[in-house]
Amino acid sequence: MSQLRVVRLVERAYTSLSVRDAEAIEATPESNARKPMLRQEVSNAVSLFNRRDFLAVGASSLTTAMLAACGSHGPDEAEKLLRFAERQNEVVERWLLRHTTMDHARGRNAGKAFPMYFISKTVPVWDASARGPWTLEVSGLVDRPMRFSLEELGKLPARRQRVDHFCVEGWNAVAEWWGVRVSELARVVGAQADAKYVDFRSFDSDFHESWDLESATHPQTIIAYAKDGKFLPPAYGAPARLHSPIKLGYKSTKYLTSVVFMAKRNGGYWSDQGYEWYGGT
Amino acid sequence: MRETEATTSTALPPSSSNTPATGDKLHKSTVRHHWIVRVTHWVFAGAFIIMVGSGLQIFNAYPRFARKGETFCCYPFEGTAIPGWLTFGGWLAGARNWHFAAMWILVLSGVVYLTFIYLHGEWRDLVPRRGDIRDAWEMLKFYLFVRRDHPHHGKHNALQKTSYFVMPFIGVIIVLSGLAIWKPVSLGWLTAIFGGYVWARYWHFVSMIILVLLALVHVFMVLAVDPYSIRSMITGGYNERNSPQARNARPFYHLLPRWGRKSRTDRLSEPEEAEVT
Repeated sequence: MSQLRVVRLVERAYTSLSVRDAEAIEATPESNARKPMLRQEVSNAVSLFNRRDFLAVGASSLTTAMLAACGSHGPDEAEKLLRFAERQNEVVERWLLRHTTMDHARGRNAGKAFPMYFISKTVPVWDASARGPWTLEVSGLVDRPMRFSLEELGKLPARRQRVDHFCVEGWNAVAEWWGVRVSELARVVGAQADAKYVDFRSFDSDFHESWDLESATHPQTIIAYAKDGKFLPPAYGAPARLHSPIKLGYKSTKYLTSVVFMAKRNGGYWSDQGYEWYGGT
Repeated sequence: MRETEATTSTALPPSSSNTPATGDKLHKSTVRHHWIVRVTHWVFAGAFIIMVGSGLQIFNAYPRFARKGETFCCYPFEGTAIPGWLTFGGWLAGARNWHFAAMWILVLSGVVYLTFIYLHGEWRDLVPRRGDIRDAWEMLKFYLFVRRDHPHHGKHNALQKTSYFVMPFIGVIIVLSGLAIWKPVSLGWLTAIFGGYVWARYWHFVSMIILVLLALVHVFMVLAVDPYSIRSMITGGYNERNSPQARNARPFYHLLPRWGRKSRTDRLSEPEEAEVT
């Protein structure tokens, strides 16, 4: 190949670089080494699900991985890749979930020391004088939106279960919980067919977490009002909280105020900060 | 491997073999590792570093095995956080995201590697055989200066062979115990096999430590005994003239090939009277 021909080729390649590619190069210093593409290659790459970009992301993720180790969240590309992986994981996790698969807690008094946990600065206590008596509001895509007082919750069929509590930190603890199945609540209020997600909201600041319907209606997912034979004290989510062994602790809203059936998910306090939205066990 | 076999065959009486071991052939670079082995090796290495770093970051969220209010028998550093420079992912959620993304790459490269070496026959270089214990002992004696000559071996020496053979099994334990922690309810039967959530976490940790130690020894031996194998794991090329056996190499001993001198492989491949001189 003559020198002149090489020069011409390079010139042609530079002029045919698309704007999108120029942006991509600016955005990713790692990919500066990428050679310019010919026009046809550019169109090919775009049509093939941006294969080149995907490869570049893959290649750069290893090097950027080392940078991210220093405490930063890493570049946007890595973030995108991680979100992609999280979505794929959710597919697998949902496939693994069975309503017939139950948690069987090991050990009678295993890890009974639950920590107190809330996001407010002080223990959240329902102020009945200011807000009126506490009720649990069940609304959204339901036929009969209702409010339940604690007594009314207690009159619904109760479930008593000794199950694990799995914390995202890596510990688990066993306790006996009393409560009402969320599936029972859904039956009572008549959840509609297009309700695919359930949001659990609290009066602990603006805490809420949304769940997929399958997990929310798992037989071991309950609105708990008592633990180990006592009504929940304020430090542990009084008057009622969500509890289930099939999700990590951060998905289980304490200090419940409302249960909203929805067609779309709306994230959650921890999910919005980077923890997996699904968070299943 | 073919070359070393050829060298041994010369020690035997002349056979009908029509491929005599010539000096030319011995000094030619050969492809030591198939490209699938090379690619999966490096992909696994990268994914493994991410997995270990993010795993330690996750561990630091609760750096003990005992449940709250309990004690644990078998971990001496309960409550001691892993130093930050060993962790990866920044914080618990970030590390979890990395961990659950890289795990697929780790498993995929491992499965591709194992399937390949099974189908392509490379497993034969790794399976234990009778005599491996003795050979491993001889290697150890050589490394400890008890024995003068590098023991003769095939593609890998007995110590290498053993660790490369053991690594996939530890990998399987890591993956299974990891699944047991990830899905202690959906895969509750698996968690039960590992002895419950706490113990599954412990086995995940212990098997990781073992694999990390093996990997560190591996890297050390590559650098200190056979740096030429780095090339063989990138381009595949390897010259038997540079093999540890040809150089009679111990850690940090005889790192350079024997320029101007006849290599041990040369001496081995020559007629007996040449060795006397």
